[in-house]
Amino acid sequence: MITSGIEEKTFVLNLGPQHPSTHGVLRVLLEMDGEYIASAEPVIGYGHRAHEHMAENRNYHQFLPNMGRVDYLHALAFNHGYCMAVEKLIGVTVPERAEFIRVITNELNRITSHLLWFGAYLMDLGAFTPFLYCFDDREHILDLLDRITGSRLTYCFFRFGGVPKDIDDDFISGVRTFIKRLRSRWVDYHNLVTKNVIFIHRAKGVGVFTKEQCQLYGITGPSLRGSGIPYDIRKSEPYSAYPLFDFEIPIGDNGDIYDRYIVRLREMEQSCRIIEQALNKLPNGPIMAEKVPKRLKPAAGEVYQAVETARGEFGTYIVSNGDIKPYRIKLRVPSFSNLSLMVESFKDNLVADVVAILGSIDVVIPEIDR
Amino acid sequence: MLTDSIPKALSPLNLEKVAPGEYAKTGYHLEVTAKPEQMPAVAQAMLKEGCFLESFTAVHTSREAFTLVYHFANFYELCRTAVRATLPEGAEAPTISHVFPAADWYEREVYDLFGIKFAGHPNLKRLLLPEDAEIHPLRKEFAAEGETKAEAPK
Repeated sequence: MITSGIEEKTFVLNLGPQHPSTHGVLRVLLEMDGEYIASAEPVIGYGHRAHEHMAENRNYHQFLPNMGRVDYLHALAFNHGYCMAVEKLIGVTVPERAEFIRVITNELNRITSHLLWFGAYLMDLGAFTPFLYCFDDREHILDLLDRITGSRLTYCFFRFGGVPKDIDDDFISGVRTFIKRLRSRWVDYHNLVTKNVIFIHRAKGVGVFTKEQCQLYGITGPSLRGSGIPYDIRKSEPYSAYPLFDFEIPIGDNGDIYDRYIVRLREMEQSCRIIEQALNKLPNGPIMAEKVPKRLKPAAGEVYQAVETARGEFGTYIVSNGDIKPYRIKLRVPSFSNLSLMVESFKDNLVADVVAILGSIDVVIPEIDR
Repeated sequence: MLTDSIPKALSPLNLEKVAPGEYAKTGYHLEVTAKPEQMPAVAQAMLKEGCFLESFTAVHTSREAFTLVYHFANFYELCRTAVRATLPEGAEAPTISHVFPAADWYEREVYDLFGIKFAGHPNLKRLLLPEDAEIHPLRKEFAAEGETKAEAPK
């Protein structure tokens, strides 16, 4: 696979595609110089399902369930991005209550994604216990979301113009109880992991992304914010009900694994703050816009809509030629760019750090492969 | 303000169109039309303005041509620029991967799915499909098994 530039003193080590710490089917060819990595080449596409091609062969409604399958860990953000892009295209305004419900469910989903990363990543590093702790926490959110969306993972909950089902008092009190519980767990998480000397030694100063690299490679999400750039679509390009809430964008200083870890942990706390405010201010009213046509036939034109997912910026680019099917849909997924920088950061690192760096950018391979 | 400084930075390149976009409708602050051969210079200018390559793709617009669509954004100021370049069927576009390494994979993806070649790309091979695939599935004339054939663009 690596075709040129291999010197005789190096050898190629194959990682994946079936490997527990590649989080999906990712294959990386590592050119090794002893224990150090001389170059790396990821091989992707094992999970390519041609979502963009599918989009051209079905109407706008029919493509909606695909969104939960692109990034299965933060499916609601992908629902949100696609719905907002189509709403922009057909000129529909979403009622305020629906926007609030979208934000609440979206942030709960972000917490599940970060919790899963937290557990799985530490397991990559050899710590088994945190995995059990955070799956315990995550289960509570899955049960809550299951009640209103009907699914536990590949959600398809948002519709063009709003949401199909209202939230009830049981859901609200369940979310409040959960947030209280999650906050009480931070102490355990920090005692177990953040202050753990083994973790600190593995994470500090390893896999550094500089600000320049982030610009050149188009890095977004916690991986970017770990490097100290406060770019979060929820603040930088406010959408939905996010401008109504008070929250912070956590950033790191050095751009190493440790900073990306801290950013994600602090983001979960910010998500809790957003959810609490949204529950407190939840307005009454309709949850669906009136007069959303059953058969969409948007005028010719194009639209780009960005949203912040747990891994970074998800952009939906739709080109319409006035037909009932989209002429072209491009899904700009965050892990795609993030993974391409990872190759650079592997260089001159020890082979033992490969898994540590790979896990720290939180890749979801089916999202890259689409 | 980037909406002022980007047109200023692009003006020496004599591009076909540099105009403000309808942000509320399309999500673009600036819309630019360029020739494919001007893209490396456009990318250089965008890099100097502190922008990053947000996304790059192609659209099979007609039987004779593709539209290359580049999206640029900025980490510190909200300003999205869409740059479009029409590429005739069979022609090669120059790579911008030497300016933005992010374009390396995007161009490989476009080559993979549309069959568009990028001159000067260091490693132009398929990205998502297997290496020995013989199809370019996002071209409009392509139809998978069991699919009704998409209409060829007019």
